[in-house]
Amino acid sequence: MNILIADDDRLSRKLLEKILQRAGYDVITAENGRQAAEQLCRPDGPRLALLDWMMPELDGPGVCREVRRLRNLSYVHMILLTSKESKQDVVQGLQSGADDYLIKPCDPEELKARLRTGQRILQLEDKLVEAREDMRFNATHDTLTGLFNRGVILDLLGRELVRIQREQGCTSILMGDVDYFKKVNDTYGHMVGDEVLEEIARRLLASVRSYDFVGRYGGEEFLIVLNSCNASFALARAEEIRKSIAQDPVQTSRGLVAVTMSFGVLSSKDWEARPLEHLLRETDVALYAAKAAGRNCCKVAKCDSFPQGSLAPQQASPGRAR
Amino acid sequence: MQKPVQNMTAPAFNFANLLDRVENDRELLRDLLAIFKQDSPRHLLSLKEAVLHSEMKQVQASSHTLKGMLSNLSMDRAADAAANLEQMGRHEERAGLKDALTLLEQEVADLMPMVDSYLQRARR
Repeated sequence: MNILIADDDRLSRKLLEKILQRAGYDVITAENGRQAAEQLCRPDGPRLALLDWMMPELDGPGVCREVRRLRNLSYVHMILLTSKESKQDVVQGLQSGADDYLIKPCDPEELKARLRTGQRILQLEDKLVEAREDMRFNATHDTLTGLFNRGVILDLLGRELVRIQREQGCTSILMGDVDYFKKVNDTYGHMVGDEVLEEIARRLLASVRSYDFVGRYGGEEFLIVLNSCNASFALARAEEIRKSIAQDPVQTSRGLVAVTMSFGVLSSKDWEARPLEHLLRETDVALYAAKAAGRNCCKVAKCDSFPQGSLAPQQASPGRAR
Repeated sequence: MQKPVQNMTAPAFNFANLLDRVENDRELLRDLLAIFKQDSPRHLLSLKEAVLHSEMKQVQASSHTLKGMLSNLSMDRAADAAANLEQMGRHEERAGLKDALTLLEQEVADLMPMVDSYLQRARR
């Protein structure tokens, strides 16, 4: 583990460096407080630090304050080294953001024990951050495919619509549905159905740019937001994505399974300021048209389908064989 | 004005304690003593000038650095003398400053033969 030693006295630096190297640490040294703060504020900087109290440029408590103010990504455990023994000084040091303090000259065994305590605290912090990130991922992603879940993809689409209205840009929405997916489940079982959905998700992600959004909209329905993609390219892009699914059968635990997808396409050029639900409904109607046209194809939405300001009739849902 | 009194209860050089601190690493001990021999005259000179011009902040800073070096090397009596000067610098006590400096210089001078002798033995 990396550790920073900051002390203006090179004798003290040499002594601490050797003790800590022997204890298995990778040691980085700084000769003043300013250098120490710069090292510790780097995103990949050390997360353990021994800081002398009195240093030129910036003292130990000053380094602590700066690190607490600037480095937010990961916690740094900082120990102040001091010959100050008064209660008031210790309180001042800890209030500056230090986690611990040691009286100089340090006893090597006590120093190492305090650092082990620091490492335990950092490990605990890492576990908490990992758990928080897992929870955040699970709350925003579909557990089977790892794509954005319905709530998140709709939220992202909503934000994108606001952005393009403000910037007068353009964006395109693709709604895709796996053709005859029920048949896949009925023939091979739901586990194979899941494998197919996972592979489709991988192919969809691989077919879009890093700044596009892909989400699982429903069972076998996917929503793709092609940011800054105008109408003239949207259909071509949709075709490429459709081909990426159709061109090779999916390798599953029960062998190769050929699947295709149908897509409804809507581009921002074709709509005025309409509620999100209207746009989704119109994209869904285009998807229905693709299904009606024999599936494994893409159809562009006609935006005069519904009068502005009213919800479209529920024409897509009843009795539709997906 | 009270003259600084030498703390005779503290050992001049607590070698056993120093060996513990360096974890019996004789090579490290040699390096530390070499650094002391090289750096301490510079810090003493800086302290002397600060005392001469009554620059109390600098008296505090230079004696603090010397105190740190001397404590790390378990040179306890000299470390006490440096700590005394640091306190005087902090509290801007000008009375007795020169005597306190003389005492520190004497303590450091007394240590040098021991340091030289160790470094010579280590070189062999």
